[in-house]
Amino acid sequence: MSSRRSRSRQSSSGRITDRQIDDLMSKLQSLLHDARLGSHDRASAAKVLQDTCSYIRSLHREVDDLSERLSELLDAAGVSSAQAAIIRSLFM
Amino acid sequence: MRAVARSDGSHAIWTEASEGFVSEGGRLWFGMAISNAEGESAAKEGGGGRKRKRREEPSLAKWRTQGEQRTYSTKLVEALRRVRRSPPSGATATTDHARSRAVREAADRALAVAARGRTRWSRAILSGRTLKRRIRPSCFRPKPVGSSAAARAAAERGKPATLEKKARVLGRLVPGCRKLSLPTLLEEVSDYIAALEMQVRAMSAIADALSAASSAPAAEPM
Repeated sequence: MSSRRSRSRQSSSGRITDRQIDDLMSKLQSLLHDARLGSHDRASAAKVLQDTCSYIRSLHREVDDLSERLSELLDAAGVSSAQAAIIRSLFM
Repeated sequence: MRAVARSDGSHAIWTEASEGFVSEGGRLWFGMAISNAEGESAAKEGGGGRKRKRREEPSLAKWRTQGEQRTYSTKLVEALRRVRRSPPSGATATTDHARSRAVREAADRALAVAARGRTRWSRAILSGRTLKRRIRPSCFRPKPVGSSAAARAAAERGKPATLEKKARVLGRLVPGCRKLSLPTLLEEVSDYIAALEMQVRAMSAIADALSAASSAPAAEPM
């Protein structure tokens, strides 16, 4: 009885309807991907999830590349000049 | 440790070890960001925020403010100084890789700190960093064309297994979010994405400033 529903619904806290979930999902993801999706206003839930996964992965990759760049730069530059440059950049 | 009475009437305890305020609810607040951000977040928690179930509306705009980015950049720079000092600088490739990984971890930790402990992903990062290490890119298979129609048809009958699978993949990407229900997961994901975007912006700015400084070495007398 409950095993039939437990697969399709994570009944942890309260009665969250699927419609509610889908609304929340499209709202949140469209909010974040307004630059990427362009004007897709009928994106299916699966596509939204997939796009989100890809986007997070690309962000991770970007952060990794930036870390690599930063580690090289930190080695090359002295700490004090680095800090001076960074503080200058914070006020630009 | 000293106790501080905050503006919203709750008490917070400054702990030296964690460099921040631990409020009664166990969340971590940080001194630097309190001045500009406490107003809105303290007002939201209010006096009765600890007893009743908090309905946190996703305030993603905070990740886009200049103040937040500056706070994060400052924290990151401090952490990066520590990264420079501890590992012995060799010339091997493994050391380079280890160094960039250390930078990445410092950046992520600083980002989690900037989240002020209000999200699961930030708490997961701060409490171990064990969830994020193994990213298997092979487990994310691109959706074949044939199943898209089937998935769309099945989506009208309620949450199908495909959707759940994708939600699980998403949950694995965000630290500490593997076993969440979908609404919670989506909130975490949106906050995480906004935070990542800020992280990218801040790190790019730092990297640009560093490369500009090192390419034009005007020797500042230090």
